Amino acid sequence: MEALNVYAARLLEKNEYFTPGHRACQGCAEALAVRLVAKALGRNVMVASATGCMEIISSPLPFTNWQVPWIHVAFENAAAVISGVEAAYKALARKGRIKDRGTVFLGMGGDGATTDIGFQALSGAFERGHDFLYVCYDNEAYMNTGIQRSSSTPFGASTTTSPAGKKVAGQVTWKKNMAEIAVAHNVPYVATACSSYPFDLMEKVQKAAQTPGPAYVHILSVCPTGWRLPPNKAIWIGRLAVETGVFPLYEVADGRYRITVHVPELRPVEEYLKPQGRFRHLTPDLTAQIQERVTKEYRKLVAKTQFTY
Amino acid sequence: MSEMVTLTIDGRSAQAPAGTTILEAARGLNIDIPALCSNQELTPYGACRLCMVEITHGKRTRLVASCIYEVQEGLVVRTETERVNNVRRLVIELLLSRNPKHPRLLAIAERLGVDKSRFEVEVKGCILCGQCVRVCREVVGVSAIGFESRGTDRRISTPFNVAPVDCIACGSCAQVCPVDVIPFKEENGVRTIWKTNFELARCEKCGRYFAPMRQLAHFSRVTGLPLEHFTQTCVHCR
Repeated sequence: MEALNVYAARLLEKNEYFTPGHRACQGCAEALAVRLVAKALGRNVMVASATGCMEIISSPLPFTNWQVPWIHVAFENAAAVISGVEAAYKALARKGRIKDRGTVFLGMGGDGATTDIGFQALSGAFERGHDFLYVCYDNEAYMNTGIQRSSSTPFGASTTTSPAGKKVAGQVTWKKNMAEIAVAHNVPYVATACSSYPFDLMEKVQKAAQTPGPAYVHILSVCPTGWRLPPNKAIWIGRLAVETGVFPLYEVADGRYRITVHVPELRPVEEYLKPQGRFRHLTPDLTAQIQERVTKEYRKLVAKTQFTY
Repeated sequence: MSEMVTLTIDGRSAQAPAGTTILEAARGLNIDIPALCSNQELTPYGACRLCMVEITHGKRTRLVASCIYEVQEGLVVRTETERVNNVRRLVIELLLSRNPKHPRLLAIAERLGVDKSRFEVEVKGCILCGQCVRVCREVVGVSAIGFESRGTDRRISTPFNVAPVDCIACGSCAQVCPVDVIPFKEENGVRTIWKTNFELARCEKCGRYFAPMRQLAHFSRVTGLPLEHFTQTCVHCR
């Protein structure tokens, strides 16, 4: 669908289910991702949202941006709550108290709520096999509370709890590969997406919603505030993340890998790191180290796409 | 803002602007009506007949296609009566006899409780919803494809069944098709659609093929800008 992007934009759903007027920062690509996900899923959906930016900006009492049933839960249990909602819905439909309308159940959280705090609840929900969709909006740190590192923060990024200084150059560990962890749970559908590629994102979300059983979509959501970028560069840097191979876009349906946005030749990682203030301190040495890792990971992914069974 | 009309759908009171259809008003209440030929961007057409509902206006009760019937003051609509479901079951059986495999049709059939079509299967794939024809005319604005013949021979085709002259290879018809029967392929810088090969333009910066040359020529015609304005770099590198 990404190839047909010219007229596709006019043929999309017109109604907004995550309406404008929220309180996100200028240039927030995460709010854009939430809007696209809500658009892709339509009206027939129930959402459980973990604590994080998206909860804070979309529900300042007494207002809300959500045009669909939405519940805010604690940091750790978005996946647990949405699996409970799904189980209750199934039970009520079985007893004939409500009509089964094929409602989609969406759990969502930021990278902190997914990779750190809500990890165990999500793993449990995958294992129990509820028919739900979990979307992680990954902005690579706890942006809501003021840019603290999470396990999804990439190597070398400077945050307030991994500050770059004379001894240590920012984050010292590599980014946790959450999509791969979801694949290891043997869930039927896993995908990575980025709001810079809107049609690809919506297609994946729709596919994930139609898949019976659990599905996981990991969305790279550029955060201009936390990444130290001018707000007008958010979409551009998302594209660079894909084109340099830092965040390849792929899907895993029934264990089969497929790269959805092909990059003929990876650009050097430096092009992605340089514009971002959080990587400003990186020496050529460290950049080379990151480049080596990115190339290796990308080769690993390409090898997986060629694997058939 | 146009005038609001009050009507009743499945016992629930609904307000909708005058001029909208019953289908839109029902979707606003989160009442799901199956429909294959309706699209917000296109003029209502009423081809698939899956969206039939029962309306009562005054003393008379009758069946109408909700995607083309406009809301009226005091209209009483019921979307799930026995009569409605009988008609929908017949329609989905007729559609299944043209295309017995597509998951979208099978999902609707399952919801209506239809296992199998009672009619003889004659696989044609296309269900003649006309979305591709309308997209080509109304959204893209070129009218490269149309309906051909009448009755049982009716089908979608290019003029005279040869390589379409007006087609810009944008692929909107393939994208909008509810049963995915329009073949669309893209490989080695050539896009194949309607049995015709179209050359793709290559980005000078990143080397990726990004759009058919015919489509870019169409943009150049519509906007009045020189062709080079479109053909050199892709949207990502601009």
